[in-house]
Amino acid sequence: MTFVSTAVPKLRPAGTVAPGPPPPSLASRLARRLGGFTARLVVLAATLVWLSPTLGLAVASLRSSADNSATGWWTALARPRQLTVENYVALLGNETILRALWNTVLITAPSTLLVVAIGTFGAYALTWLDFPGRDWLFIGLVGLIVVPVQVAIIPNARLFGMLGIYGHVAGVVAVHVAFGLPLAVFLLRNFFRTIPPDLVEAARLDGGSELAVLRRVVLPLSGPALASLAVFQFLWVWNDLLVALVFATSENAPLTYALREQMRAFSSNLDVIGPGAFLSMTVPLVVFFALQRYFVHGVLAGSTK
Amino acid sequence: MRRRPGPWTRRNRRAALVFLAPLLLVVGTLVLIPIVQTTWTSLYSEDGSRFVGLANYVDLLTSAQTRKAISNNLVWVVVAPTVVTVLGLLFAVLTDRIRQATAFRLVLFMPMAISFLAAGVTFRLVYDEDPSRGMLNAAIVAVHDSFARPSPYPGATVRDGSGLRVSDGAILTGEVAAGDVVLLPLVAVAPDAVPDHATEAVAPPPGPGVRGMVWRDFAPEGTGRAGQADPGERGLPGVAVEVLRDGEVVARTLTDARGWFSVPDLVGGGYAVRLAAANFTPPYQGLTWLGPGLVTPAIMGSYVWVWAGFAMVVISAGLGAIPRGTLENARVDGASEWQVLRRVTVPLMRPVLLVVAVTLAVNVLKIFDLVLVLAPESAQADATVLGLEMYHTTFTKLNAGLGSAIAVLLFTLVLPGMAWRARVLRRQGVARP
Amino acid sequence: MGSAAPTHAAAMPVVAALTGFTLTLAACTPGTTSGAPGPLAGQTVEVAAIWTGAEQASFRTVLDTFERRTGATVRYTSGGDDLPALLNSRLAGGSPPDVALLGQPGVVAELARRGALVPLTGPAAEAVADNYDPDWRELGTVDGTLYGAYYKVSHKSVIWYRVDAFDQAGLAPPRTWAEHLAVTRTLTEAGVGTMAVPGADGWVLTDWFENVYLRLAGPQRYDQLAEHAIPWTHPTVVAALRLLRDYWAGERTIQEGAYQLKFVQAVADVFGARPKSAMLYEGDFVTVEIGRLGTVALGDGARFFAWPAIDGSPPMVITAGDQAVAMTDRPAAMALIAFLASTEAAEIAAAQGGFLSANRHLDPAAYPDPTTRDLAESLTTAEILRYDLSDLAPPAFGAGTDASMWRLLQAFLVEPESPEEVAGKLEQAARAAWEGS
Repeated sequence: MTFVSTAVPKLRPAGTVAPGPPPPSLASRLARRLGGFTARLVVLAATLVWLSPTLGLAVASLRSSADNSATGWWTALARPRQLTVENYVALLGNETILRALWNTVLITAPSTLLVVAIGTFGAYALTWLDFPGRDWLFIGLVGLIVVPVQVAIIPNARLFGMLGIYGHVAGVVAVHVAFGLPLAVFLLRNFFRTIPPDLVEAARLDGGSELAVLRRVVLPLSGPALASLAVFQFLWVWNDLLVALVFATSENAPLTYALREQMRAFSSNLDVIGPGAFLSMTVPLVVFFALQRYFVHGVLAGSTK
Repeated sequence: MRRRPGPWTRRNRRAALVFLAPLLLVVGTLVLIPIVQTTWTSLYSEDGSRFVGLANYVDLLTSAQTRKAISNNLVWVVVAPTVVTVLGLLFAVLTDRIRQATAFRLVLFMPMAISFLAAGVTFRLVYDEDPSRGMLNAAIVAVHDSFARPSPYPGATVRDGSGLRVSDGAILTGEVAAGDVVLLPLVAVAPDAVPDHATEAVAPPPGPGVRGMVWRDFAPEGTGRAGQADPGERGLPGVAVEVLRDGEVVARTLTDARGWFSVPDLVGGGYAVRLAAANFTPPYQGLTWLGPGLVTPAIMGSYVWVWAGFAMVVISAGLGAIPRGTLENARVDGASEWQVLRRVTVPLMRPVLLVVAVTLAVNVLKIFDLVLVLAPESAQADATVLGLEMYHTTFTKLNAGLGSAIAVLLFTLVLPGMAWRARVLRRQGVARP
Repeated sequence: MGSAAPTHAAAMPVVAALTGFTLTLAACTPGTTSGAPGPLAGQTVEVAAIWTGAEQASFRTVLDTFERRTGATVRYTSGGDDLPALLNSRLAGGSPPDVALLGQPGVVAELARRGALVPLTGPAAEAVADNYDPDWRELGTVDGTLYGAYYKVSHKSVIWYRVDAFDQAGLAPPRTWAEHLAVTRTLTEAGVGTMAVPGADGWVLTDWFENVYLRLAGPQRYDQLAEHAIPWTHPTVVAALRLLRDYWAGERTIQEGAYQLKFVQAVADVFGARPKSAMLYEGDFVTVEIGRLGTVALGDGARFFAWPAIDGSPPMVITAGDQAVAMTDRPAAMALIAFLASTEAAEIAAAQGGFLSANRHLDPAAYPDPTTRDLAESLTTAEILRYDLSDLAPPAFGAGTDASMWRLLQAFLVEPESPEEVAGKLEQAARAAWEGS
C-alpha cells in the first residue's frame, strides 16, 4: 500500500519522449553489463563499510576487557575462542543498567501512545472539520517541526519545577509529546487527506458524531499511518539523550543517560558500555527490521526532525 | 472537500475545539510559549536577577568558545548535508541498476534506528588511535605498510658521549679511514625487535676497506661497559649502512647476522659511516582521528554513516518517479552513465535533492548527542557546536541568560528551514480547502 | 487494528514478544525487593557514589550484606566523576540520596555549611569513634561536627612496575629521585619502555604534582598550599613544576601520546598483553585493573615501589578516600553509615581486592594478597600522611573534569611552557575558586 508523500514533489516531464526504446546495440549492452558489475562491486564494498562499525561493536562486546585493550576486535574472528558472554552476564546483574532499561520503557511507551492519540484527534480536526484559520494553524504547526529542543529547555525546566515534576518521568514524557506532535499532525493529516471524503460524509449522514466517524471510518483505515507514526516516535524517544539529560535524574534515567554516565566515569568501561550500547540498539533494531516498511514510509512521508 | 453550510458549521467548530484542545495545550505550553520565554530570559543575567539587554548576545559573539561552536556549525551545515546527499544520490543510482538491492538498502538504512549514543560508542572503537585496536587506523597502517617497509629497529638511538651523533633521524660517525673498525653501539632497541638469527656481538677483526659492527649495546645494569661488545649483547642484522665521503654516498650495504658490515674496496680516509634514518623511524601509527584537528571531520563521518541511508531512501523514491523512458533514451543516444547522471538524472531530481539537503541542514544545526558522546573530553572544546554549548552553558556553568541567548541563536538559524517548509506546503496546495 | 496489510498482522506478535522480552529483562533488576525481615524491613535507602564497574560490584556486595542484615533495600546510584554536580541537582529538586560517598573534603565542607548534611549520631558516630584514628575522624569533621565516616581509602604514593622489564634491564627499584631518573634512563636504553602517564585523566597529573610537592617542599608548606595560605606562585611550587616538566618533557622519559592516554588503557599498556611501558604511577587501586587484565600476577609480575625520596625527604604518603555522609535524617541512612564504618564491612570489601581501609581493627589477613597487605601496612604505619590536595581544594579548582588544576596540568603536559607561567595561571584559577567558595 502506498500513500501520497507530499515531501516528494512531482517531477517535470523530460523534454523529448520517444515512442519506445530501439533495440540496444552490442556495445551499449556490454557497457551496461560492465557498469552493472562495477555497480555491484561498489555496492558490495559499501555494504561492508557500513556493516563494519556495528559488527565491530558486537564483537568487542563479546570480548573481555583485557582482550579489548590489547588487540582490535577483528583478531577475534581468527580466534573465536576469545569470545565470551561474560560482559552480558555482568550486564544482567548491573542494577543501574537494568533500571535504566525499565525507565526507557516507562518513558517511551506513554510518549508514543500520547503522541499518536493526541495527534490523531488533532489531525482529524485539521482535515475534516471546518473552522476559520484552519490552514494557517496547520502550517504553523508544521513549521514547529524544526524547532530545536534547546529553545524550550529552560522555561520548561522552570515550569516543571513549579509543578513539582522536574526530574520525574512525567516531565520527560511531556516534552517528548510536545515536540513529537507537530510531525505527528503533519504525517497523519497527509494520510487522512487520501481517505475518500465521501466515506466521511456518509458516516456523518448516518447520524454519527465526529467521534463516531473517527472510530468507525478513519481509524480502521489508518492502520499503516498510525503504525508509521508510532514506530517513528518510538525510535525517536527511545534513542533520545538530550531531553533525558535535562529532564530526568539518574534514578529515572533511560538507557542512553545511564550509558553516558558510564562513559564519563573513572575507567573506560568498554565492557559495560559495549554490551550496554548493543543492548540499547537491539530493541530499535528489532522494531526496525520487523516494521521497516512503516518506518521508511514515515520517513518518506515527512522529512524528519 | 466541500463545505457544508448550516448546522454542521457550529458542530464542526465545537468538535474542532474538543479535538484540538489537548494538542494546542501541550504544544502551546511546552513549545510556543517557551520560545518567547527563552527569548525573554536571554535578556537577563545568568541567574535571572538583572536585565542586561543584549549583553548576552555580545558575549556570545565575542567568546572564543561560542565562536568556535558557530564556526563548527557552519562547517557542519555546509559539508555534512552535501556529502550525505551526494552519497545518497550515488547509492540510489547504483542500487537502481542492480536487482538485489533490498539487503543493501536495509544495511545502509539501519543506522537510522540506533541512538546517536550507540553510534558514538561504535565509532569510538573505529577511531581509536592505536592501530592495534582502532579499525580505521589499522586499515590505514596496513595500506601504508604494504608500500613502505616498516623499519627494523624503530626508536633506536645512541648514548650521549659515544662519539656518534643523530642527525635528522640518521646516525652518523665521525671521520673514519679505510682499515678502521667502526663500532656503532645502539640503545633503545626493544629486545624483541632483535631477530632470532642475530648472533652474539663480537667486534670484527681489522681488514681492508671500511668495516664495522652495529649491535644492541645494552647489558643489564652494572654488568656491561658502554660502547664495548659485552657477552649477551647481540648484533643487529638488516641495518642499511651508507659510507659517505664529502657528503656523497660512495657505498651502501646491509649488516649481516653478526651485525657486521664491510666495504672492502675503499681506500684512504675522509669517510663517514651513516645509518640511514629509515632504519629507525617509529612505526606509522595512522592519524589521531579524535584529536583537536580531525575531530569535527571524524564526527561528520559518523553522521554520514547514520544518515546516508535516509538520503538514499528518499532519493530512490524520487528516482522511481522518473519515467523509465527518459533514462533509456539518454543512454541510447550514446551518453555514458556519468553523463546520464549529470545531464539527465540530477536536473530532474533537483527538487528531491533539495528537500533532502535542507532537511539534513536543519537536522545538523541541532546536533548535540553525537558530539557529546564521540568527542573525547580533551577534544570537546574543539568539536563543540551550538547545541552542546547551550547545554554546557546552562547546566554546567549555570548561566541561564547566556544559555538562552545561544538557544535563541540556534532557533534563528533554523527559521529559514521553517519558512522554506511552510512555503513548500503552500505551493503544493496543501492549504487549499 | 484493522484489515489492510498482512504485514500488519505479522508485526503485532513481534511487537508483543518484544514488549514481553523487554519487560522481563527489566524486571530482572536485582535488589528491587529484598523481602527479608529485619529492623528496617520494607524501607529503601539510596546511596550514591562515583563507582562503576568492578568497584561498584565490590560495593554492591557490602550493600547486599546490609540488606540481608536489616531487611532494607539499598539502591545504588553512580554519579561518575561529577558526583557533586549530581548531588547539587538532586538537592535542588528536593530529593537527595540518603547517603553519599564523597572523596572531596572540600565538597563535604561546602554541603555541610549549606545545611545539606546531617551530622553523624548514634551508632554511626560510635562506629567512627571506635574504629578510626583521630586523623581520619578529623578529616570527616567540619567546623567541629562529625559528618563523614571514611569507608574506603587509598595509598597514592606508589609506583607500579613490570618485573620482567626491570629484570631484563638488570634494575632494582629506585629509592631516590636521582636513582629514579637513572632507572628511567636505563629502561630507555634497554628498549623495554619507561613510564606511562595517563594525561587524559587530569586527576592523575594532580597526584603527580602532590607527591613531588610534598617531598620537595615539606608537609608544612603542603598544608599551607592546601589552604591557599601561600600562593601558587611560591618558589616551592615553581620548583616542583620545574621538576615535573623536566621529567615529563624529557627525552623519551614517558610514553608517547600521554595526553590521549586514559588511566585504564595505561594500566593495560604496562601490564597487558602488549606492553609499551615498564612503569605506571598511580595508587593502590591499580591492583583491580591488573587483576582484570589477568596477564601478570600481582606480586609476581607486577610490583610496586614507594615514591622516591626527593632531596632526602623521609617516607611520606599521599592518601585520599571516600567518606560516607548522610543527606537525609532517616534512621536507615544512619544505620547504613554505621555499617559502612564497621569492621565487618571493611572485611567484606577488603576480601575483594582493590580496597584499603583505615579501620584500625581490620585484620590485615582480610586482604586477599601480600601486595595489598604491604600497601595497607605502608599506609597505616606512615609517619607523614597528607590528604590529596586537589580534593581538599574547592571543587572548581581541584575536582571534576572541568577543574582548573586538572586542565592546567594537562596543558602543561602537552605544551611544557615555563613553570613560572603555569604557576601564575594556577594562582589565578585558585584565587577565583577560593574567593568564590
